[in-house]
Amino acid sequence: MKKLLALILFVVMLIPTMAIAEDDRIHITYSFWGNQTEAESVQVALDAFNAMQDRIFVEPMQIPNEEYTQTLVNYAIADQLPDCGMVNENAVLYFARNGVMADVSDMYAGEQLQPMDCITFKDDGTPVGYSSCNEILVLYYNKDMFDAAGEPYPSADEPYTWDEFVEVAKRLTIDVNGNHPGDDGFDANNIVQYGAFVNNWTWQMEVWALSNGGAWFTEDGKECVINTPEAIESIQKVADLALVEHVAPLNVIPEDNGVGIGIGSGTVAMTTDGTWRLGTDFPNLDINYGIAPLPVMEEKVTLCTSGLTGVFKGKNQEAAYEFVKWYTREESNWESLILTGIWLPKSEYYYTTEEGINAWLGNEKYPYNHDMETGKKVLVDYTMNNAKPACWYFTPNTQITTNEILFTALQSVWSGERTAEDVINEIYPELCEAIVVD
Amino acid sequence: MTVKPIKKLVKYNKAETRTAWLCLLPSVIGLVCITYLPMIASFALSLFNWDGLGEMQYKGLHNYVKLFTSDTKFYSSLWVTLKYSFMSVTLSIVYSMMIALLLNRKIPARSFFRAIFYLPYVLPAMAVYLGWKWLYDFNHGFLNYIVRLLGFAPVKFLDSSTLVTPSLAFIAVWLSGNLIVIFLAGLQNVPRTYHEAAEIDGANAWQRFWKITIPCMTPIIFYNLLMSLVSNLQVITPALSLTKGGPGTGSYYMCFMLYQQAFKSHKYGYGSAVAVVLFILIAIFTAILFATSKGWIFYEGDDKE
Repeated sequence: MKKLLALILFVVMLIPTMAIAEDDRIHITYSFWGNQTEAESVQVALDAFNAMQDRIFVEPMQIPNEEYTQTLVNYAIADQLPDCGMVNENAVLYFARNGVMADVSDMYAGEQLQPMDCITFKDDGTPVGYSSCNEILVLYYNKDMFDAAGEPYPSADEPYTWDEFVEVAKRLTIDVNGNHPGDDGFDANNIVQYGAFVNNWTWQMEVWALSNGGAWFTEDGKECVINTPEAIESIQKVADLALVEHVAPLNVIPEDNGVGIGIGSGTVAMTTDGTWRLGTDFPNLDINYGIAPLPVMEEKVTLCTSGLTGVFKGKNQEAAYEFVKWYTREESNWESLILTGIWLPKSEYYYTTEEGINAWLGNEKYPYNHDMETGKKVLVDYTMNNAKPACWYFTPNTQITTNEILFTALQSVWSGERTAEDVINEIYPELCEAIVVD
Repeated sequence: MTVKPIKKLVKYNKAETRTAWLCLLPSVIGLVCITYLPMIASFALSLFNWDGLGEMQYKGLHNYVKLFTSDTKFYSSLWVTLKYSFMSVTLSIVYSMMIALLLNRKIPARSFFRAIFYLPYVLPAMAVYLGWKWLYDFNHGFLNYIVRLLGFAPVKFLDSSTLVTPSLAFIAVWLSGNLIVIFLAGLQNVPRTYHEAAEIDGANAWQRFWKITIPCMTPIIFYNLLMSLVSNLQVITPALSLTKGGPGTGSYYMCFMLYQQAFKSHKYGYGSAVAVVLFILIAIFTAILFATSKGWIFYEGDDKE
């Protein structure tokens, strides 16, 4: 009996080795972060690729988001990097500069679908990679709260000026006695509904510097200009929404969930956040919502950004290149990521041609297809005409500047303990030092 | 009297020594590979600038010089770490001693209460901190709900750089169920006879507590103090899960700083320098504790007074 069991065990152990032996395809690994739903959609895409391939077989490698970059660095040190994988925006230039990523600059040469310039990572002006999709920042609003206040919806053609935004937010902010900020007897300690929440997750704050006519870094990524009056004022204006105007909930320690803190909490009427929320959050929220362009301080502008799918150097580089080229086409993720609203397309074709726009925005599965005209103005026109790349597309070491230095320092501004001017002037030398590449 | 038995004994000893070494081997290998070597490596790394992927550049003591001369965050970090440790160590020792004394009495449902006070300690840390986040939240938190009901302005428990450390230390005190258990065990070992003798001599409860219980408990207090100090100086979980080091540097504890510098900013050399300083700091405090311990610890069977 024992012998029989041992024999069965032996045969069972042999099965996987036989399976590997039979499969002479090149096995490559694709690393990604995400939750279970995202992991399933990745698997769907990999299955589709593997099914049509007789040369390459891709295996997924899921790594928790919090530890993603660190895990890849550990793998790189041990010379065990996956063959390709998602790369966090703030780590792209860090990886590229250290020679970890393969050259993909000719990936779309001669193709009909060209990725937009706005989402091209550049190290000292040289393209080093393309985002897998596009995402921009927009204003989400709760239509029911606007109706209840008798307030017209934010316009898609004429975005609010900052002052209008604050005024509207005041009218939508209600304390426990039904008063608004500025009314006699308004009780700032007992607000039951807030008018607005501007997502103060560090990287998203850059858009307000641009909107106010300033910037955080120069476009060559070599100089830090966050200490200009425009940039400093933009930070203070956002902080004052909660501290002075009392139209926004206090959010001292930002987390990457603007919609959750804002409009998703059911007590805030307007929130700024990224377009991925159309797919990741709003389908699960029971909110009658609309979208509009961001309010304008001085210039109509939004930020575009998205992570990249990188090819890592190694012996399977060529196979990984082929997979990534296939994987980052819109068609490969059409149902799972584009039509669900999680990704905006990355190729110009989907923004500049009627046919291209209709393919996604006009599709009945797209979350915002009921109001295509607004969608076109807010998502398409703004991407083409008003979107500027986030600083990590052209500035080195944003894993230090935005992730660490600014993130920590700005909390004192959000809490009202210090002014933006005070804080920025203090950390300015540190920021300048951090972006120097040796 | 022959030589034989001694020889046997030597042989026996040898065999025993070998077995002892064999038994020790796994933990020695573990300690060396997982603790001592990384410690030495971390010290060596602190002399370099290294971003993980690029070349390592030898910089001598540059990282330490930078830490102590130009990094303002480092001093804030040092200060909040000491503040947090002082608060959480003293308060949790006093709190758990009090609870242990209460639980040591013959109260109804004693086991139930013992379980209740020990419970926080066995809960998963993330769940605990998430729960406290809801309690402490400024906009929708339960504590501020009560504060508002009472007609006061809401309190920035975690959103003010002065209140954040006391708020987090309070959680640490609430979490000190392990200290309670150790104190309880100690209390049960305080000889009854001393108490009975003192009672006969007419000592009141306070005198008995102060002259008998406390002296008998000093070795336990010392142990708890040491363990609590070492673990609280290495605080990182509340900063990671609740405050992300903020507001400002309000909870930018040294362990969090080293994690942030090494693993988020990829400045491994600099992060290692913070680790070395933290190590030295803990060593100094431990040494102070040991040096002063002779003066106040009472060991039964000790020949001094």
